[in-house]
Amino acid sequence: MAAMAVALRGLGGRFRWRTQAVAGGVRGAARGAAAGQRDYDLLVIGGGSGGLACAKEAAQLGRKVAVVDYVEPSPQGTRWGLGGTCVNVGCIPKKLMHQAALLGGLIQDAPHYGWEVAQPVPHDWRKMAEAVQNHVKSLNWGHRVQLQDRKVKYFNIKASFVDEHTVCGVAKGGKEILLSADHIIIATGGRPRYPTHIEGALEYGITSDDIFWLKESPGKTLVVGASYVALECAGFLTGIGLDTTVMIRSIPLRGFDQQMSSMVIEHMASHGTQFLRGCAPSRVRRLPDGHLQVTWEDCTTGKEDTGTFDTVLWAIGRVPDTRSLNLEKAGVDTSPDTQKILVDSREGTSVPHIYAIGDVVEGRPELTPTAIMAGRLLVQRLFGGSSDLMDYDNVPTTVFTPLEYGCVGLSEEEAVARHGQEHVEVYHAHYKPLEFTVAGRDASQCYVKMVCLREPPQLVLGLHFLGPNAGEVTQGFALGIKCGASYAQVMRTVGIHPTCSEEVVKLRISKRSGLDPTVTGCG
Amino acid sequence: MALLTRALSARAGPSWRRAARASPGFQLPLLEPAAVTRALSRAMACRQEPQPQGPPPAAGAVASYDYLVIGGGSGGLASARRAAELGARAAVVESHKLGGTCVSTAVCSVRGRRFVSAFRSTACARSYGFPSCEGKFNWRVIKEKRDAYVSRLNTIYQNNLTKSHIEIIRGHAAFTSDPKPTIEVSGKKYTAPHILIATGGVPSIPHESQIPGASLGITSDGFFQLEELPSRSVIVGAGYIAVEIAGILSALGSKTSLMIRHDKVKEVKKTSSGLEVSMVTAVPGSLPVMTMIPDVDCLLWAIGRDPNSKGLSLDKLGIQTDDKGHIIVDEFQNTNVKGIYAVGDVCGKALLTPVAIAAGRKLAHRLFEHKEDSKLDYNNIPTVVFSHPPIGTVGLTEDEAIHKYGEENVKIYSTSFTPMYHAVTKRKTKCVMKMVCANKEEK
Repeated sequence: MAAMAVALRGLGGRFRWRTQAVAGGVRGAARGAAAGQRDYDLLVIGGGSGGLACAKEAAQLGRKVAVVDYVEPSPQGTRWGLGGTCVNVGCIPKKLMHQAALLGGLIQDAPHYGWEVAQPVPHDWRKMAEAVQNHVKSLNWGHRVQLQDRKVKYFNIKASFVDEHTVCGVAKGGKEILLSADHIIIATGGRPRYPTHIEGALEYGITSDDIFWLKESPGKTLVVGASYVALECAGFLTGIGLDTTVMIRSIPLRGFDQQMSSMVIEHMASHGTQFLRGCAPSRVRRLPDGHLQVTWEDCTTGKEDTGTFDTVLWAIGRVPDTRSLNLEKAGVDTSPDTQKILVDSREGTSVPHIYAIGDVVEGRPELTPTAIMAGRLLVQRLFGGSSDLMDYDNVPTTVFTPLEYGCVGLSEEEAVARHGQEHVEVYHAHYKPLEFTVAGRDASQCYVKMVCLREPPQLVLGLHFLGPNAGEVTQGFALGIKCGASYAQVMRTVGIHPTCSEEVVKLRISKRSGLDPTVTGCG
Repeated sequence: MALLTRALSARAGPSWRRAARASPGFQLPLLEPAAVTRALSRAMACRQEPQPQGPPPAAGAVASYDYLVIGGGSGGLASARRAAELGARAAVVESHKLGGTCVSTAVCSVRGRRFVSAFRSTACARSYGFPSCEGKFNWRVIKEKRDAYVSRLNTIYQNNLTKSHIEIIRGHAAFTSDPKPTIEVSGKKYTAPHILIATGGVPSIPHESQIPGASLGITSDGFFQLEELPSRSVIVGAGYIAVEIAGILSALGSKTSLMIRHDKVKEVKKTSSGLEVSMVTAVPGSLPVMTMIPDVDCLLWAIGRDPNSKGLSLDKLGIQTDDKGHIIVDEFQNTNVKGIYAVGDVCGKALLTPVAIAAGRKLAHRLFEHKEDSKLDYNNIPTVVFSHPPIGTVGLTEDEAIHKYGEENVKIYSTSFTPMYHAVTKRKTKCVMKMVCANKEEK
């Protein structure tokens, strides 16, 4: 029977030997996961960006799919619905709050443009949070509906492996459920790391899991960390008028181009965010009046200092959500350093029919679009007869700090490390966005650079843009780089005027020339 | 030779460029040292070309340059500056302010989009948590800022030319009947083996004879001179200028009408309470009807632009134009007369600043660096209409693609969504995208 089922499935994969799907309910726990009698073609563990993309794609190819998603409440008790990090405690609420902060800036600009707006305009956290939270909830709902429409079975259970084809989980009400599948994709993502070695960190600090769900304003906030999460959060908190400090132990935005990263920080520092560089916290205490007292050490001098805050936000990195999966029961290998799941170029784990995508995977970008694309390509390979692999090169991304930083390709230091200084040419420009002129905004950090090979036609290795709407600017150029654009081709591309984006195609001054890279006038 | 050695050792720094210019006998292009030798021999060869013969000019009668540029706008300035960088002795003739249309009357003068962004922001701000954000608009403030910014740009352009040792000739140029192509500006004559016409265009206004009272309306030139926000505006036209201006005025609070067929405007009268605009309108399926809009304080013609070629005395050299006056050029920007070229709006093709700049520069490289094949590719030029919401476009329209490839070979991908910005606002605007692909490879 099993062999026949396999053979039949081989014929275009559309034929299913099971006669009908069980309406509602769940397969009995008594059914074993013997080969050929499994509940699903595909089981996806994790209903985030990657997981949902896989599930929907497989369902579209006619497969029987189930998704299990479960959110362990944060130490502060925050929980959320279907959709994963991006929707609930990442990209989406972050961008909306970043937008709120940007609006604050535009309101300040408005009088310069002739608008008689009384200044200063106060910001109401509650109103913003409610609007953001409502939008996120609508997305949770939207995802539920989408799964239903595509006949993907959804279980809100915390799954763990029983064997390599079976997971078990406990549903509401305490009922234990067993689910088996021919193929399993692990897309459980990650969660913020807590510095548990710091006294008071767990009890008194919050993370990005909590900040977007706060009902009341976080008030005077200390953000600990130098990641994009830290800087983006500190950025919008400052933008809506809160007293915000960022504590960075060593370098900002590790892994990103460091010249650009320091300009991001410079901008934030000159626009109201306070920075404590080279410091590391040692203790957090709650004072009688409810405020938090943080003690830290200056890493160079060894001197100790304290400060009082309403909120402490830990943004020191993320850990993969693998601990409770019982991966050993399935035989799935993880990295001993990071506990992330190890995969090959086909997203395959150490177990032939188990795959992993997204933030939970070792060595992959922690980005929604890569998880989605990798997931879809994987499903196309499993059920759609494709052999296309995910290309993780030249993935564009943007850091949504107050002055946004968009990039694609290699950082300058990566390019130099790979090719040698003599073989790399960097074209750069300091530009001033037109909209900054009338409002008298400081454009000191508005900067763009293109890292190229020196040999003609000068292949573009990386593009870095610091300025308004960096995400919108960078996206189009990512296509160019994917197609192997050369500096020569960039030079032949006519700009759109007046935009900031055109500054990319107007890049002429190289770092090597030593000439002043400040743009003047229209050409 | 001493210059060559200096060039090879000093690299492409500013001092090197100054040294090059200090020696009038040499034309040293901005090249990597390895290529300097080649360039130098080319430059020397160019210099040895015999000067065109003609009657010797009377003392001081005709000033001679390597490159004469008529028109100090986007195209003219870019071409002159690039030519100067390549070693040419250049002069720019300009009768108004430096910077041209782009700077003074349109693009760079803090386009209205910015006003409206600020407006939109204050309106949406409430949804993002700024409860007390109410805004009233004061036109004077933005006009002052705009005017100041434009003045600053005019000065910047002037400085750029001075820094590049480009002579600025103030006045209006016209070709003469001299055997060598020569122009005359305010009684003085100038000549060059290469003359570029980059005089741009002006907004069209209908003739009084076609539409009585047409001159009571203004154009985009006048729009930026307005001292107050008009309370009732009528914009006539259907191109991007009409759409953009109508969008700005409407969003800022002027009651605005957009008249798409200008030949349907019949008459404009002046009354004590403003202009009276009479027009023929037709609801599809019904008979045309005469309507009248009273109390208009701003009638703006945005019905197209005419090339600025009439006052140049092009006929003296027989320079060909089309029936609208656009100067006819080939793909290398050559007119039908040797040594005379044209770029930008005056040619009537792709009326965009970056296009004029790019074409002007390509021309400079062709003429003064002897890059014989240097020309602008006019395909796939991206552009934006700053309407609300704006439209960004590059490549063929759907109709153009179908016409070129045949309907069966064209595939359209499209999407429509509400940007997340509007997730929390009352006002929602859709974002629509369309990708037109052709043939099997879906290019």
